[in-house]
Amino acid sequence: MTYTWRRKLADWLTAYVFILPVLLGWGIFVVVALVMSLYFSFTSFNLLKPPQWIGPVNYARVLQHPDFFRYAVPNTLKYSAVVVPAQTVLSLIFAFALDQKIRARDFFRTAFYLPSVTSSVVIGIIFVWLFSPKGVINQLLGLDVNWLYNVKTALPTIMMVNIWSTTGTMMLIFLAGLQDIPSELYEAAAIDGASRPQMFRYITIPLLRPVIFFVVTLGIIGTFQVFDQIYIMTKGGPLKATTTIVYLIYFWAFGDVTPDMGRASAAAFILAVAIFVVTMVQRRFLEREEV
Amino acid sequence: MRRFKWFPIITALLILSIVSAACATPTPEVKVVKETVVVTKEVEKVVTKEVEKVVTKEVEKVVTKEVEKVVTKEVEKPRTEVRLSGWTASPEEENLLRALLYECSLQNPDILVKYEPIPSDYWAKIKTMVGSGTEPDIYYMDIFQFPFFATQGVLQPIDDYMAKEGVSRDEFLDTLINAFTWEGKTYGIPKDFNTLGLFYNKDLFDQAGVDYPTNDWTWDDLKAAAQKITDATGVAGFSVPPDPGRFPIFVFQNGGQIMNDDFTDTLLDSPEAIEAGKFYTGARAEGWAIIPQDVGVGWQGEAFGKGDVAMVLEGGWMVPYLTNQFPDRNYSAVHPPAGPKGEGNLVFTVAYVISKNSKNPEAAFKTIACLTSEESQVKVLTSGFALPSRKALQSHEYLQNNPVANAIFTGAEFATPFMWGLKGETVNQAMAQALERVYLEGMSVEESFKQAAEEIRAALKE
Amino acid sequence: MTTARPTVVWERSLWDRLKMPIFYALLIAWTVLAIMPYWLTIVFSFMPKTAIFDPPRLWPKPFTLENYRVVLTAFDEFPLWLRNSFLFALAATVLRVFFSALAGYAFARMRFPGRGVLFSLILGSMMVPFVVTVVPLYWMAVKWFHIYDTLWGLIIVWTSGSFSFGVFMMTQFFKQIPRDLEEAAFIDGASWFTLFFRVVLPLARPALLALAIFSFQGSWNDFFLTLIMMQSPENFTLPLGLAMFRFQYYAIYSNVLAGSIFNSLPIIIIFFIFQRYFVEGIAYTGLKGV
Repeated sequence: MTYTWRRKLADWLTAYVFILPVLLGWGIFVVVALVMSLYFSFTSFNLLKPPQWIGPVNYARVLQHPDFFRYAVPNTLKYSAVVVPAQTVLSLIFAFALDQKIRARDFFRTAFYLPSVTSSVVIGIIFVWLFSPKGVINQLLGLDVNWLYNVKTALPTIMMVNIWSTTGTMMLIFLAGLQDIPSELYEAAAIDGASRPQMFRYITIPLLRPVIFFVVTLGIIGTFQVFDQIYIMTKGGPLKATTTIVYLIYFWAFGDVTPDMGRASAAAFILAVAIFVVTMVQRRFLEREEV
Repeated sequence: MRRFKWFPIITALLILSIVSAACATPTPEVKVVKETVVVTKEVEKVVTKEVEKVVTKEVEKVVTKEVEKVVTKEVEKPRTEVRLSGWTASPEEENLLRALLYECSLQNPDILVKYEPIPSDYWAKIKTMVGSGTEPDIYYMDIFQFPFFATQGVLQPIDDYMAKEGVSRDEFLDTLINAFTWEGKTYGIPKDFNTLGLFYNKDLFDQAGVDYPTNDWTWDDLKAAAQKITDATGVAGFSVPPDPGRFPIFVFQNGGQIMNDDFTDTLLDSPEAIEAGKFYTGARAEGWAIIPQDVGVGWQGEAFGKGDVAMVLEGGWMVPYLTNQFPDRNYSAVHPPAGPKGEGNLVFTVAYVISKNSKNPEAAFKTIACLTSEESQVKVLTSGFALPSRKALQSHEYLQNNPVANAIFTGAEFATPFMWGLKGETVNQAMAQALERVYLEGMSVEESFKQAAEEIRAALKE
Repeated sequence: MTTARPTVVWERSLWDRLKMPIFYALLIAWTVLAIMPYWLTIVFSFMPKTAIFDPPRLWPKPFTLENYRVVLTAFDEFPLWLRNSFLFALAATVLRVFFSALAGYAFARMRFPGRGVLFSLILGSMMVPFVVTVVPLYWMAVKWFHIYDTLWGLIIVWTSGSFSFGVFMMTQFFKQIPRDLEEAAFIDGASWFTLFFRVVLPLARPALLALAIFSFQGSWNDFFLTLIMMQSPENFTLPLGLAMFRFQYYAIYSNVLAGSIFNSLPIIIIFFIFQRYFVEGIAYTGLKGV
């Protein structure tokens, strides 16, 4: 007993040594910052003057704000519901394709990653131009749609841009995931006479599950927090058709003449709780393992 | 470990890429660097050499004679450091400011100005800094944001310093200096300003055989000319963007206001404003005006540059923009047309303000006084980037020779500051959406403006 | 890295024959989509600023280097920005990848009290939008730690802020690696450190590589945190300096495009070099040389 107990203690200590550097940095610059902004969410805080405690009023002010449930929440949910599945499936397919022994693979991989490298300002400029009424997209499709200045098409257009720009990143994660699967497993399975669909079903997918969970979680966090491209391409318009939760948060925090950091922080924590719940739900589906 | 073989290779490549990138930088045309930044270079030299001298107390060769005098004084009294922040304009304007700062360092040898530009999200950063008491001594203040800073008491009243330095309020355009006055105290010296002018494309006017606009134009003249141009050339005569920085002048010209006098209520649903809204949005419905989004751009200045619209209401920033991007555009500008109740315009202005936390407000004010002196303002004016805030310059020959600059400068006479109080951006958004609802959803102006007014009132009540 | 002849020969089915053409069609289609905007950026960055509103074209004509000259020479501090960017990105990448892998391994394999709670907290801390933590970070940097306006302060704050993602990613990847190999070594009496450095890190090479690429790119492109943390122009990084080409009312797009090409070039070069270390997979084409 004493031996195992000691061994256990040693293991604990080793584990803490392993996580110590992260814990220090994260604990100071993330946790403390989050605790402070959690405090702000219970205050009236305009940045210039010290925060004044007002209790949970800001949470009510967020939930009662007409734009919150009418525009920001539905827009964010729609955005996430389209973008997350699309980018996950597309990037998984591309990762498989680029994991093959194909010609010019280096070139293809780099090309696929290019959208992730292009700065969001430039993406904004280029896509505003591609989707303009007389732009390339309309010319190709023979249409006359003002994509980014139409209440119906503005959000879908930004969804497309986002799928385009994040697929490369997700592809890279899946590529790394596929490569982390030791070849010995496939060899053994091949010797046992497994077919490739069987190998995909019984080796690749189960082993990839933690990585799929990672990619989907990343997608959920990214889409629930979408801001950059909207800020650059539509500024939340036209008529709030692309106003998302973080767009509202940004406006409350820094957008108006009088900042309302209290309400912005409250909205940020409401959003974080929502993301956390969604993530835990999908974790039940994707990550059922014993560790 | 065979598997780790790649690690040294990667490290080597990284180092190689750093070196190559670092080397690659200056190669393209080194000569030009020296040309464009001569002024800045000098500043740096002066600063570093003097600092050395203070420490070592030995005499050294100095760049110019004036500086030599400076140095002798320097040894007895160390320089006061003053920090200055602003948002960044074009590289040309940056260099102009640095040149002015250099001139001022000669005039105020005991003051060392440290320039710290904020390249983006200026208000987020400056407000965060003010909140922790670490803001610069001097910073840019837009009139749109001024009421918030004034009511929070974070700015230094400068009347006493003005008296000491012999700077009088009367030297500056009334609209501008009054805009930066709050509860009887002056808080900022306007550095420059802009108003809206009616920019017109001469070629399209010639093509349609329409006389060029004049300062005496009215709404009817605008409509008649725009209709003729639209019919004759197929290019829209005018532009009516859903832009809260353009539309309000039509309300002013119709005798209305956006906000009441103490900014506690909006007057956007007043009959004057609604009537102005009908004229403005009607222009597009009747086919003689467009919104920039109709031609696939976000800003009407770009549409004007491309020749997609014959007239736009824009500010003096159009001049460097058109010079840069559309040098062939043949254009001029006059005052905006008058409405049923006369002239009306918006004035956009920026001042230098001093922080209440400043440890050296006197040195800070001396710097401001120098940056806004007549000498400095002449340089600003003749560079063509901005219009000076001093009355004395209204008869400067540059304005006589530049009709566009003159129209923008003299527009200040009828102008109201672009400022809607403590929730200004909410007002802006509500106004933009009021117009968009009419354009995109065909809502009536009355209903749309009423909805906007209610949104604004709800925000003001919070 | 070389692929030996497959030791097992698959039966050729219809799927086998159609597979490659389908793959290539897919790859080429997406490649065009992915490259076009970037290519157009390159083309227009080599054209005079007055041509920016011309219809898109595939080759820069008239050709000019003027935009690059302006970007590289307009501000004296440009070489400093470049140096700061490289130092920042390199340090942030090394620190983040190493420490995230270390912690990720502990979370994936070791049992210790507080593991579940800590992991959930780390995961949860990614879910609060960054914009509301900007003010606390500024206060901490200025008032408590006096690391404001310093490069190493930026490195520390950025790396600390990005640990959540790194730890989450590494944990998931370590979970994916089958335990058999470690168990064999464990029975031989290897310590956790030996296991980590000798067995696990080499196995997780692709994941480390991916995280390194993300880290380099993320820190290289970081904008908002750098903006908040830096004050003196000589301490700016490249993205911050290049933002000076976007003005209050308008931007000279040609310069912005040239700047963005210049800014992204190092990332693309690094990506191109490093992606070769993702060896080809095995799932369909045959077996990797053993």
